[in-house]
Amino acid sequence: MANSYIPLQMKVQRIEAEDPDRTLRTYDLTFVNESEKEAFKYLPGQFCEISILGKGESPFGIASSPTEPDYLRFTVNRTGSVTSDIHYLRNGDIVGMRGPLGNWYPVDDMKGMNVLIVGGGFAFTTLRSLLIYLLDSRDDYKDITVIYGARNPDLFIYKDEIAIWKQRDDIQFHLTIDKPVDGWNEKTGFVPTVTQEVAPSPEDTLAIVCGPPVMIKYTLPVLTELGFPDERIFTSLERRMKCGIGKCGRCNIGSKYICIDGPVFSMAELKNIPEAF
Amino acid sequence: MKMVRLDKQKFNDFIRELSVEYSVYAPGKVSGKTGFIPVESGDEIDFTSTVTDMSAKSIFFPHSEVLFEYDEDGIRAAQTSHRPIAVWGMRSCDARSLVMLDRVFGSAVQMPEDEKFQDPYWKEKYNTSLIFGCACNEPLSTCFCNWFGGGPYNNDGMDVSVVDAGDVYLMEPVSEKGTDIIGKLSCYKDAAEEDKALAAKLASDADSMMIAPPDTDGLGERLTALFDEAVWEEISAKCVNCGACTFSCPTCHCFDMQDEGKGSRGKRVRIWDSCMFPIFTMEASGHNPRALSSARVRQRVMHKYSYYPENYGETLCTGCGRCVMVCPVNLDIREVLKRINVYNEQEK
Amino acid sequence: MSMVNNLRKTIKELLAEKKIDLFIVWEKGSLPLSATPLFITSEDEADRAVFDITCGNNLSVYFTKDRKQFSDKKVGIAVKGCDARSVVLNILEKQIDRRNVVITGVPCHGVLDKKKVLDKTDGREVLEMIDDGDTVTLKGKGYELSFDRSEILSSSCLACIYPDAQECDIFIGDARAEIPNENRLKEIKEFEALSSSERWANTRAEYEKCIRCYACRNVCPSCYCNVCFVDQNDPGWIGNTCEFTDSMIFHIIRNLHVAGRCVECGACERACPMDINLLQLNRKVAMEVKDRFGDIAGLDINGKPAMADFREDEKQDFIMG
Repeated sequence: MANSYIPLQMKVQRIEAEDPDRTLRTYDLTFVNESEKEAFKYLPGQFCEISILGKGESPFGIASSPTEPDYLRFTVNRTGSVTSDIHYLRNGDIVGMRGPLGNWYPVDDMKGMNVLIVGGGFAFTTLRSLLIYLLDSRDDYKDITVIYGARNPDLFIYKDEIAIWKQRDDIQFHLTIDKPVDGWNEKTGFVPTVTQEVAPSPEDTLAIVCGPPVMIKYTLPVLTELGFPDERIFTSLERRMKCGIGKCGRCNIGSKYICIDGPVFSMAELKNIPEAF
Repeated sequence: MKMVRLDKQKFNDFIRELSVEYSVYAPGKVSGKTGFIPVESGDEIDFTSTVTDMSAKSIFFPHSEVLFEYDEDGIRAAQTSHRPIAVWGMRSCDARSLVMLDRVFGSAVQMPEDEKFQDPYWKEKYNTSLIFGCACNEPLSTCFCNWFGGGPYNNDGMDVSVVDAGDVYLMEPVSEKGTDIIGKLSCYKDAAEEDKALAAKLASDADSMMIAPPDTDGLGERLTALFDEAVWEEISAKCVNCGACTFSCPTCHCFDMQDEGKGSRGKRVRIWDSCMFPIFTMEASGHNPRALSSARVRQRVMHKYSYYPENYGETLCTGCGRCVMVCPVNLDIREVLKRINVYNEQEK
Repeated sequence: MSMVNNLRKTIKELLAEKKIDLFIVWEKGSLPLSATPLFITSEDEADRAVFDITCGNNLSVYFTKDRKQFSDKKVGIAVKGCDARSVVLNILEKQIDRRNVVITGVPCHGVLDKKKVLDKTDGREVLEMIDDGDTVTLKGKGYELSFDRSEILSSSCLACIYPDAQECDIFIGDARAEIPNENRLKEIKEFEALSSSERWANTRAEYEKCIRCYACRNVCPSCYCNVCFVDQNDPGWIGNTCEFTDSMIFHIIRNLHVAGRCVECGACERACPMDINLLQLNRKVAMEVKDRFGDIAGLDINGKPAMADFREDEKQDFIMG
């Protein structure tokens, strides 16, 4: 019988600090075992449990796209004991990984549609996965609009890629920071407000929202107000997790488990679930 | 199906015969408390309590269980295959609880076909097990199995039903596995018509001892409707958030996973956890979606009587009454459910 | 007028005179051997209040648990002698504002230990219990038993010398000061008389039963750390399994955390679903604290908890051996 509790071995291939304080770091991991690499199929929005043996596991959204087959990318914010230990990793170190876990953004439904991506802070990970995935088959989708907010310019992740995306004429890419800062030429203001200003028409558009809980909480009503139907607003939720496979009982919101019924939920689903926010 | 009778004087022979193929578990005493223990002879069995202090879930889902060990050479999964387990003397509340837990540890309802999400540690023990029930002739005042479709003579989850009829045990196979084992073992005789009549009488006597349940139709919906109501603060006020109810419960199955090790060697262990503990949902950031005791008590009640039923069609409670007995502040789940009933009516 | 009627009358008066917002007391529980905590906010609820042999909970716990639900309220609380010491200790440790609590003593003649009751009945269920003050009668299916009530009292009560609140605003009846009790240290002395290997074997047998449900910690008014050491995972001080070493370390550390703070109410022992004799170690440490520092936890509202105080004349031989 397959045993989903056993982590696969992954090797750290590349580490990059995302912010000056170095509390956000991006890790590219490669499979130690080639056959495991072949069997690993995922879609944007899914997550993995990364293990530091002796310390424990934490869930992280996959930041790479399935169209980037050479590595799995994760961006780790240093908050607790496992994430601290991840920050001590060096190139070549081995970590454990279980996944892919959870469901994914509705990429099939996006075909032939406009896509609005709204993200905040270091939760842009799975949104990067989605964006790369869409851009790699750009012709399958209509307009792509991205709104990405952070507290200050330092706290955006994937800054080099953002610079490239900003140059492209086949995506509308809006950056915003909470408060004005000298030398900042992009938008200023909270994500919900900016969304109100620049969101595309809800017609034939799917909206994907991922960020800190408070951002999600105040952005969803804006989309509703703009006329997005509940079935076409999707968000990704987080809770404390352990097993990741619907057994250990802690990540539920109502009768749904974030780890197997989510993390991606439509607004229509969330309306019927207590304690989602 | 065919009923057989086992003379109690031959009970030791029976356990011995069963032990050839199975590791046999039965109610027994450890340091004064009753639970299910491995036995080799009938003499070790303690049948004094109707409901054992600790439930039968720990046979298949122990308090602490190693998932894997690791060292310099890599990760090795703990062995999941075992000598098959036979359990003697499981009451209907515990036998039903295993059916409920199997839905979770098997493929969760959300992914019915995906074997990947089966729990090998549970599945390989439970799938190969053989459960001999034991009908309750003397239900306790704390028993409320009849509230949720069970009863002292209910056979759900058993392979063989067993009735204690004085000098003899009357056994009847309930499943295919049960029919097989009854066919294989030799230490009993076919039951007579009088035996069947006696079993039927004992069953109706036991049923008549149960207190009539309150109306629990639509309980799940009522709970959902009351989710944001102040009634939860009232209900939870006396709860001290210990885990005694969840640990004694035969259906509570939440667990934590922890690494124990030093240097490059160690193991990952899963350990019973409880939704009553504040740290159960505490996130690394310090945010806790269930910081309040009322939210935690609500979670336990909702999980049992609303969420699980929504996913699987029946409550995650077999009415064994253990939580009622162990609660240090006498927060009686039956009173909670009655309160929910009344509160709703006040609302209307 | 009976004691319970007096108690109910007092609660009504306190509420009527707006001296309190809330009164914490016991009411009849759903089982014959259990009372249950009751939070009274209106006079008509006061008639549900009881105090008898089943009222084992130390209600002071509700001041210190995570919700701190009474922080802005005036609270009346019914206390046995031991519970009163918990309230005092919590006041000394700044968990309760003395001005916001009306300590209401009730005359205690001991509370029962369910384990001892079930030993009497050989595990048979008790359907009715009658306590006439000297004799307790238990009734169940097919049996009726009577015996001296001291036979089923909690071990904490058998060793008690302060059955009544020494610090209180109201006492229902006449409070007794310290009472003589020749059994005060009996259990501890017997334990100390054992050889080291016997002590270890006994202790091991007890703590091996632990299922780590933390009922002992959670019913204890002295256990109110925001994050208990056993719940910390960075660093993870101790394991959470039921292996004896993990369980034993938990209990030893908890035992030392409540040194000089344990009021020996026995709530932990009565709450334990596995019947571990949790009080034994606590009482041993309480005795040590008394011997070394002359302090009895929660007795003197003008004092300081032993571990929060230092006096130059304290015995310091333990440092140098």
